[in-house]
Amino acid sequence: MIDLSNVTKRFGPRLALDAFSLSVPERAIYGLLGHNGAGKSTAIGILLGQVWPTAGDVRVCGFDVTRDRRHALAQVGAIFEAPAFYDYLSGRRNLEILAGYTASVSPKRIAEVIEWVGLTGRETSAVKTYSHGMRARLALAQAMLPNPRLLILDEPGDGLDPEGIHEMRATVVRLNRELGLTILFSSHLLTEVEQICTDIAVLHSGRKVFDGRVADTKNSRRMVRLRVGNFDAAVKDLREKGLITGFAGSDSVELADNIDTPEVVKRLVDLGMPVFEVTPVRQTLEEFYLELMNAGRTAKN
Amino acid sequence: MLYLQLRGELWKLFGKKRTYIGFTIILLTQLVVTVWFKYTRASPAMGRILEGNGYVADQFLSGLTVAIVMLIPIAYVLLPLYVALIGGDMVAKEVEDGTLRMILSRPISRMRLLLVKWLAGAVFAVLLVAALAGFGVLFGHLFFRFGSLFVFIPGELFSVFSPADGWRHYGLSNILLIANAISMMGVGFMFSCFNVKPAAATILALSFYFVNFVLQQIPYFRDYQHFFFTHHLNLWHLMFDQPIPWWKVGQSLSVLVGFNVSFLVIGCAVFHARDIKS
Repeated sequence: MIDLSNVTKRFGPRLALDAFSLSVPERAIYGLLGHNGAGKSTAIGILLGQVWPTAGDVRVCGFDVTRDRRHALAQVGAIFEAPAFYDYLSGRRNLEILAGYTASVSPKRIAEVIEWVGLTGRETSAVKTYSHGMRARLALAQAMLPNPRLLILDEPGDGLDPEGIHEMRATVVRLNRELGLTILFSSHLLTEVEQICTDIAVLHSGRKVFDGRVADTKNSRRMVRLRVGNFDAAVKDLREKGLITGFAGSDSVELADNIDTPEVVKRLVDLGMPVFEVTPVRQTLEEFYLELMNAGRTAKN
Repeated sequence: MLYLQLRGELWKLFGKKRTYIGFTIILLTQLVVTVWFKYTRASPAMGRILEGNGYVADQFLSGLTVAIVMLIPIAYVLLPLYVALIGGDMVAKEVEDGTLRMILSRPISRMRLLLVKWLAGAVFAVLLVAALAGFGVLFGHLFFRFGSLFVFIPGELFSVFSPADGWRHYGLSNILLIANAISMMGVGFMFSCFNVKPAAATILALSFYFVNFVLQQIPYFRDYQHFFFTHHLNLWHLMFDQPIPWWKVGQSLSVLVGFNVSFLVIGCAVFHARDIKS
């Protein structure tokens, strides 16, 4: 659905994206993660043909965005950066205006979308009277108007209250499950991404530092919580035997490749060390992300 | 699709209050000029000029003459100001507000978007001139009687017309004033496509206008008048010459078309090369 190949973008001397490649399959909910200035919005801007890449190929729905923007974006709905509307016009009129830039949209379709996002009854009020949550729903409505196959959402939960964020998250999942939409989703909220995304790409200073399934991030380091009679002695021995590669804090160890928990337990029992608890620990996306960022900083230094 | 897009642009344009500032100020100015002309020594002074040239003043101090009296300052100052303001807003204001990002997330080419916006600006210019022409004769005839037309621009024009001819020349001059308004809107529109604030686009457009105007007034440049943009903006004056110099009208119109196409091409080229980003 989306194919970025070695996309580089320079703003003067600043390198915003460095040979960024990304492939988003159909029906995926793909999370784009990174700190402020990592290049997420630049990547989305390039996908929408609003920012010109310095180098690389950008294909959306099979079409080259830089050469055939009209076909590439024909089935794309997007919220790019903070949604902005014509505040002095009604929500409905805003939708009619924005729909006009894609194709002729029937009043029935506009009513359907308004109902879908829960703005029925307020569609004739001026947007300046809308709450932040209502604006976010109107933004989603405009993205839904052209019956898209691909939704690109740039931090859609930004500025929403916890209830609004929950609502937005539920809506994104619903759109993917009920309508089969492919969704590219950028967010700062790692728990949100962990809950709804199937795949993620992590950007750091314009470079991709990870790209894969969310499930893989949880197993990237095979940590085990270990409560034994003498943790330091156990770590020393297990390391010497090549069963673990490291430890964290005073109760966790990282298993070596091809080593499973029973082998560690057997060794500890052979040593005659009392074993109180051995539990595999699943790494959270937050831990994984922070680790990537630290690794990125270290590499940069 | 073009209809839907133009309709959308017009909804946006006429939905905001600042679009009506130009209409309001121009109508107020017309009213003030009419009242000033009626109740000061301005109309007797004009009467003396007419009588000094052998005309019956009463016959020419008409609603139509007053409509032209009020048209001159408006056409030179207020009309360029307000159309440049709207032209300067067309793109830059949408960039500033962030609404352009919403539009450009849709499958419309930048070129087409600019053409639709330019057309909406042109519709505004036509409506503003139509209001200026319509309310000019309305206010004029509220205070003065129907009659012949006298047009006097010191050092440039001294023309008299019968009532029927007067209406015809007045109508034609306002039609050509549309070319003036669209061209000034086009200057503002071009600067609006640059990476500048809307106010800066308007100021740049007005600077371009006034620099042209000032240079045109310098005696040294008299021989080079036809190179100046403002010289051709004044083509509406030509409708009061007797006989109308149609070849000059055609020449000025052609030059203005050239200017407008150039402004649009420069604006499109600059806008096309830009990254749209907050």
